[in-house]
Amino acid sequence: MEEGRAERRRRTEAPSHPQGGTGRAGVMTDVHRRFLQLLMTHGVLEEWDVRHLQKHCYRVHDRTATMEALEDFINNINSVLESLYIEIKKGATEDDGRPVYALVNLATTSISKMASDFAENELDLFRKALELIIDSETGFASSTNILNLVDQLKGKKMRKKEAEQVLQKFVQNKWLIEKEGEFTLHSRAILEMEQYIRETYPDAVKICNICHSLLIQGQSCETCGIRMHLPCTAKYFQSSPEPRCPHCNDYWPHEIPEVFDPEKEREAGTSRASKRSLRSRQH
Amino acid sequence: MSEQSKDVCDPNSAAEASNSEVHSSLGVPGGLSPPASQAATLAGPESPPLGPTDAPLASPPPQAPSEEGDPKALQQAAEEGRAHQAPSAAQPSPAPPAPAQLVQKAHELMWYVLVKDQKRMIIWFPDMVKDVIGSYKKWCRSILRRTSLILARVFGLHLRLTSLHTMEFSLVKALEPEELDRVALSNRMPMTGLLLMILSLIYVKGRGARESAVWNVLRILGLRPWKKHSTFGDVRKLITEEFVQQNYLKYQRVPHVEPPEYEFFWGSRASREITKMQIMEFLARVFKKDPQAWPSRYREALEEARALREADPTAHCPRSSVSED
Repeated sequence: MEEGRAERRRRTEAPSHPQGGTGRAGVMTDVHRRFLQLLMTHGVLEEWDVRHLQKHCYRVHDRTATMEALEDFINNINSVLESLYIEIKKGATEDDGRPVYALVNLATTSISKMASDFAENELDLFRKALELIIDSETGFASSTNILNLVDQLKGKKMRKKEAEQVLQKFVQNKWLIEKEGEFTLHSRAILEMEQYIRETYPDAVKICNICHSLLIQGQSCETCGIRMHLPCTAKYFQSSPEPRCPHCNDYWPHEIPEVFDPEKEREAGTSRASKRSLRSRQH
Repeated sequence: MSEQSKDVCDPNSAAEASNSEVHSSLGVPGGLSPPASQAATLAGPESPPLGPTDAPLASPPPQAPSEEGDPKALQQAAEEGRAHQAPSAAQPSPAPPAPAQLVQKAHELMWYVLVKDQKRMIIWFPDMVKDVIGSYKKWCRSILRRTSLILARVFGLHLRLTSLHTMEFSLVKALEPEELDRVALSNRMPMTGLLLMILSLIYVKGRGARESAVWNVLRILGLRPWKKHSTFGDVRKLITEEFVQQNYLKYQRVPHVEPPEYEFFWGSRASREITKMQIMEFLARVFKKDPQAWPSRYREALEEARALREADPTAHCPRSSVSED
């Protein structure tokens, strides 16, 4: 790159002040910049990948520095991003509690990120699916129910066959997850659209009693109706021999899942990753 | 014609203004086209954006400057205002907006550019004006400049006008050394692996790879043209349409062959982003051989690497990011 050496030195050494921001501005170095670049490139990343990414960025730009703890590293970056209305948001997959990270825009309150990828009728299909998912009891909307709404879509007329493919496109782009013919929101969609969803569907939206974030899939108390994410119940009831509802104290009737253990994951992961990455992705 | 060009935001000078602040050279191919033709091309897509795409990045109505800073209020105004947009050409020169509005627009543009780049879509200047800048067209130079500054300071990215002719921008990494970071996480990025496989095949053949040859290779990975794959989905669509749209591959009919056959070539973006040496390293890794097992290709890769070093002596030699696991 044709930059003067002085410019480069200035950027790595001096702390940069965010546009119009005051307060505790973090120090932005090339390590942080590369991290942001790559996080943006990948859209959403699991925690294991994020740690790997952080290590990679230090290795590339600043081998001698001691690597900050991930949480501090991210908080530092977020303090700079604050004035830009974006942040690195941490969430968890709703089924097994794997932590995930994504760079999200706090200022937009609609499905803007998807807007440039999809046509008007495709976006509307997503909106219809989203509504069904939010209104459902299980957090899943069946393919049949979504496809039955195809006639109500805005824009160009879409056939059911086409709609099936569009739904697959949503799955590939990590907006929806499909399980046995039913669709729910991908953790990426939850991270990026939580604000939009809470503002657009304030009555229908479900909230977790423990973490107070948006809830799509979870368990509910049969007596008082409060809901909890599966990973939240796992953590909350971890050492309770007799799980009871935190709200009404009635017996909690569901099976308590296991707390997500990143160590166990990594052991399972390394034996897979040592094989050729392409061939291991066959099915 | 000349009056129009005064009002209309000139992408070249806007880009220059933004780039000069971050001390990078403007990658403008050839000479500058006369302002008249630029104005003409910009006049085309200038008509107010109809057809709601639901992008909240549509321009607020001209009365908006009275609302200060609150992004949500601005959002609502945008959603409502989209329905009745005044044709921009008919306006008398409006009062300059509050600085907070321009900062807001710069942030929106920053996000817009980042998302476009994330999806490997072309960043087209008329789209930027239509989708984000809207009625702030007159100040697009300063908006663009601010956006470039933010992108450079926070993300280490240059917003560069790559082609004045097609008015395309791209986000270029401004950090050294330049590596193919996507490949660094390749064990988690199946798309890159798939793409590299095809590019390597084409490279090793030394000419276009027939579609049948490509499927022979992909069959080894368990990928078939008619089978949907859990990760890739419709593989055929991915390689013949999406990779082509992103300019990583070219998919062309083989001339004078009946029944019709198609072949793949490297796309312009692949040639820009991926070096021959990276392909050699990829091959070495996948086939567990030394890169010199493909002697003529390896020689070519060395040649290219030397030429790249000579072209830009300040650039660090790309490390073997392909082997990062």
